[in-house]
Amino acid sequence: MSDQNIGKPVPRKEGRAKVTGAARYVDDLAVPGMLYGVTVRSHVARGRISEIIFGDRIPWDEFTVVTARDIPGANAVALILNDQPYLADRIVNHAEEPILLLAHEDKYLLEEARRAVRVEIEPLPAVFSIEDSLAKKEIVWGEDNVFKSFLVEKGNVDEVWDSPGLVVVEGVYATGAQEQLYIETNGVIATASREEGVVVQGSMQCPYYVHKALVKLFDLPEDKVRVIQTETGGGFGGKEEYPSMIAGHAALLAWKSGRPVKMIYDRAEDMTATTKRHPSRTRHRTAVTRAGQLLGMEIDFVIDGGAYATLSAVVLSRGTIHAAGPYNCPNVRIRSRAVATNAPPHGAFRGFGAPQSIFALERHLDKVAAAVGLAPEELRRRNFISRGETTATGQVIREEVDMGALLDRAFELSDYHAKRERFSRENVGNKIKRGIGFASFMHGAGFTGSGEKYLQSVVGCEATAEGRVRVLAASTEIGQGTNTIFAQIAADALGLDYERVEVVRPDTASVPNSGPTVASRTCMIVGKLVESAALQLKQTLAGAGLLQEPYTAEEFERACREYIEKNGALKSFSQYRQPEGVEWDDEHYRGDAYGAYAWAVYVAEVSVDTLTYEARVEDFVAVQEVGRVIHPVLAAGQIEGGVAQGVGWTLYESVVWAGGRMANGQMTNYIIPTSADIPPIRVHFFENPYAGGPAGAKGIGELPMDGPAPAILNAVEHATGVRFDSVPLTPEAIMEALEGEAVKA
Amino acid sequence: MNPFTYKRATDQSGAIREVAGNANAKFLAGGTNLIDLMKMNVQQPAELVDINRLALKRIEKTPTGLRIGALASNSEVATNALVRENFPVLSEALLAGASPQLRNMATVGGNLLQRTRCYYFMDTAFPCNKRVPGSGCPAIPGFNRIHAILGASDKCIAVHPSDMAVALAALDAVVNVEGAAGARQIPIIDFHRLPGDTPHVDTNLRADELIVSVDLPSSAFARRSRYLKIRDRAQYAFALVSVAAALDVQQGRIGAARLALGGVAHKPWRALEAEKILTGAQANAQTFKAAAEAVVKDAVPQKHNAFKIELARRAVVRLLSDVAGVMTGGAA
Ligand SMILES: Cc1cc2nc3c(=O)[nH]c(=O)nc-3n(C[C@H](O)[C@H](O)[C@H](O)COP(=O)(O)OP(=O)(O)OC[C@H]3O[C@@H](n4cnc5c(N)ncnc54)[C@H](O)[C@@H]3O)c2cc1C
Repeated sequence: MSDQNIGKPVPRKEGRAKVTGAARYVDDLAVPGMLYGVTVRSHVARGRISEIIFGDRIPWDEFTVVTARDIPGANAVALILNDQPYLADRIVNHAEEPILLLAHEDKYLLEEARRAVRVEIEPLPAVFSIEDSLAKKEIVWGEDNVFKSFLVEKGNVDEVWDSPGLVVVEGVYATGAQEQLYIETNGVIATASREEGVVVQGSMQCPYYVHKALVKLFDLPEDKVRVIQTETGGGFGGKEEYPSMIAGHAALLAWKSGRPVKMIYDRAEDMTATTKRHPSRTRHRTAVTRAGQLLGMEIDFVIDGGAYATLSAVVLSRGTIHAAGPYNCPNVRIRSRAVATNAPPHGAFRGFGAPQSIFALERHLDKVAAAVGLAPEELRRRNFISRGETTATGQVIREEVDMGALLDRAFELSDYHAKRERFSRENVGNKIKRGIGFASFMHGAGFTGSGEKYLQSVVGCEATAEGRVRVLAASTEIGQGTNTIFAQIAADALGLDYERVEVVRPDTASVPNSGPTVASRTCMIVGKLVESAALQLKQTLAGAGLLQEPYTAEEFERACREYIEKNGALKSFSQYRQPEGVEWDDEHYRGDAYGAYAWAVYVAEVSVDTLTYEARVEDFVAVQEVGRVIHPVLAAGQIEGGVAQGVGWTLYESVVWAGGRMANGQMTNYIIPTSADIPPIRVHFFENPYAGGPAGAKGIGELPMDGPAPAILNAVEHATGVRFDSVPLTPEAIMEALEGEAVKA
Repeated sequence: MNPFTYKRATDQSGAIREVAGNANAKFLAGGTNLIDLMKMNVQQPAELVDINRLALKRIEKTPTGLRIGALASNSEVATNALVRENFPVLSEALLAGASPQLRNMATVGGNLLQRTRCYYFMDTAFPCNKRVPGSGCPAIPGFNRIHAILGASDKCIAVHPSDMAVALAALDAVVNVEGAAGARQIPIIDFHRLPGDTPHVDTNLRADELIVSVDLPSSAFARRSRYLKIRDRAQYAFALVSVAAALDVQQGRIGAARLALGGVAHKPWRALEAEKILTGAQANAQTFKAAAEAVVKDAVPQKHNAFKIELARRAVVRLLSDVAGVMTGGAA
């Protein structure tokens, strides 16, 4: 293995095509004879469909119309519980639920037709909040509105409360929904027939999820379904499960019409009808000694899953496991539930439950620190987990972890202590209050628990007679750099130039299933498979007596040519194997939840204008240990982007709900931060190579979403002296808290 | 979006005739608002008459002030030297709006006629009295954080989103229009309407009338004018509350005053009572507070926007102090 590419800012593989406009997104593609497809959706949150009326003045015989009755296989999106229908049949459970599909070659007539369909729905009582769902105000799902619950137990928390000399601190924390707002909206093109099978190409994160869903929807053999990822303009989780829905819809229309069908959502449809981050509510009860030793943590974590189970169980799982943070506490109980409401299903979004539970914990620990008279950092230092200690699930940390060193570095870069002291002093007479705060946290890379064991991901490597190497994987490039880092990893494994390696476009007809592009797993888990598949290529050549180290590129090329002349093709495949000693008990939720964690301390500096009560983030320091950094520019970009998204979730992004439907589904009404709202973000990496990752790398994609919200709210508390325990934090909430009821009435 | 016919007008009267002859025709200027609304199906004109080739782009001096052509872009107006010197509030208001790209396309006429950003108006899944008269107003019982605190009716609580129009209101601007029935002048204060029982009618402009230009009378107060906009992010957002203030102060005493607010009502809100308090008074904190109180005296909050009343008060005091401070040589 060489070290030519890893750690270097090589050019992005798809960078040139993107900046020159050559990259082709799905809406840039056209297929001869193509129709357009649209979805008729429910306008009520819950009800019984009584009638579908096709208005006059539309030449309906020219249209392809698909209802639930037209579905050849199962009317359910295959995921975990398979409870979400492709098309509602009789009952609707959320606003914007798909009921009917239309296709026509004239986009404009199609839009008119969509508006001419009137769906009569008798409303049923609906539930819109976590509290109402828990209180079973109405049962809207299953027997008790609960999609999934977990219980994590460590030690015996019931015994700690009565111990003498303890301080008990309680708190309740809440987070709101958040729209992924990738630049490219959801879209696909489908062709489908019984003879030829189903082919879908489009914007997505997980081609094999879509594949699995289409196999069930059409009741076809696996080899009759083909899914191809087109250039994808961002995902953030929003294209993890949802593409299975739109792909199924377009394919149903294609199946019935016998013509290719293109379906592209506009921004309003994408915002109102597709998934968002799960809103959450967390209760903490913590026992701490006067010396600041955490003795017991009782955590109740609830997320709003929306109307169908979709991915809520696994979002809940990650949120649950991260709920107790990077601390060593002997007695912990985490009870968690994902509950149903009549909102469109909430789904995957960068962080996947962890930002919600970490927000609660890191706000709460500032409160705990105050209760025992310690500085926030001092409380954390006294409880940071280190090697040999155990997490809430009883996972023994085997790698070197030095949270204290991360904290020191973050404080040094942000000048934390001096600013903390200076702001406290200067705020007294100032109209603009300043504050500084931080959060310390970790994020597990890869699927939770036994997820990776079940996935059994496979990656292939192929060499051509010209000595070029092709990586075969279903992991998608969605702007985050998959193709670049895979090429770096394969190139270094083979001692070749980066340009010699190409990453093949994910197409289920030609790449093995390397699993979904989610869960911070692409670099660490799939990248490791890329590395070993590449190493196997080399071994194959060496084993055939064609290649000897050290070798030049020309020697490699000759070896490939000779091998291929003799054997036809040169390919190798590598399959995931659980590393030695990693054990997970699904039933009791105990054991090694993740192969590895990235560790971090983030510091936010804020200002609060007491005239307008606007809070701004003025400066941000992000220090993290992520194993080896494969590509410094892309890695820093991931951190900066995640922090920006976190700033949005904390201070700007407010989903306005009206009867279970997003009322501000427009980019001028749903406020995301612009570059003018984002502070300088100073990113610092600690590199501590992890044996289980390629060249020592761990995952980083989700990590930066976890820290900003609590760090910012901790800083706002420092600035204003007021505790805010929910996000998004709007100026009017700050005003109300500071000015009291006077402002309210 | 609906299919529509497109015509490019080459002369003013032809453009007016074309629109007068088709009840479902609209003028197309920068298109930054109209085309968006068409894409969202909020508006469905059957015909667009493109007026961009008409000679209405000039910004020129007149004996009494400045005349700005209806097709002058928001960028051109904002950066025009005469505007910056004599009507700084207009330049500041324009620069506080939208983005450079949008300002390059957006025109004075289109800006005056831009439609509300009420979530419910912009989303055809909801009823809306402004979009479909008589269908109801979901904003009143619904989420109404960005809505009106002044001059609303039980039919509509939307606010006018323009920054430019607020500055024009503080500058006593006059809108010159021409229609099939001839030309007329509309003072800015009478240009936009309150919602009353007919919230679908935004302005007093007739459907076939073309905005030709806007006149700005020169004055001492206009030269000392500024704009303050409070919004949900640093750039590229509509005003929660905005204030345009123009003061003529001599030796600490206010001679003439103009005060208008944006983001609070269905039209740019000229605060006439506050102006009376300011006129002739000492330019000090007490006066400014009294003026601010007068502005919000009749304010009625909706369920989610009481904070706007306090915000308006504070914004008025801050801006008046700033404007006065500049002139008295104090801190800006
Ligand atoms: C993302 C975004 C952010 C924005 N932010 C802001 C902001 O912060 N502040 C702000 O004030 N504005 C903002 N705007 C709105 C912007 O200022 C308006 O879209 C613009 O001024 C409209 O001008 P236009 O020439 O493009 O009008 P068009 O879209 O062409 O026309 C708008 C209307 O005016 C009519 N019309 C146009 N010209 C004439 C004329 N001469 N005579 C008669 N009728 C005419 C048209 O028929 C149409 O009904 C924003 C817009 C966008 C898209």
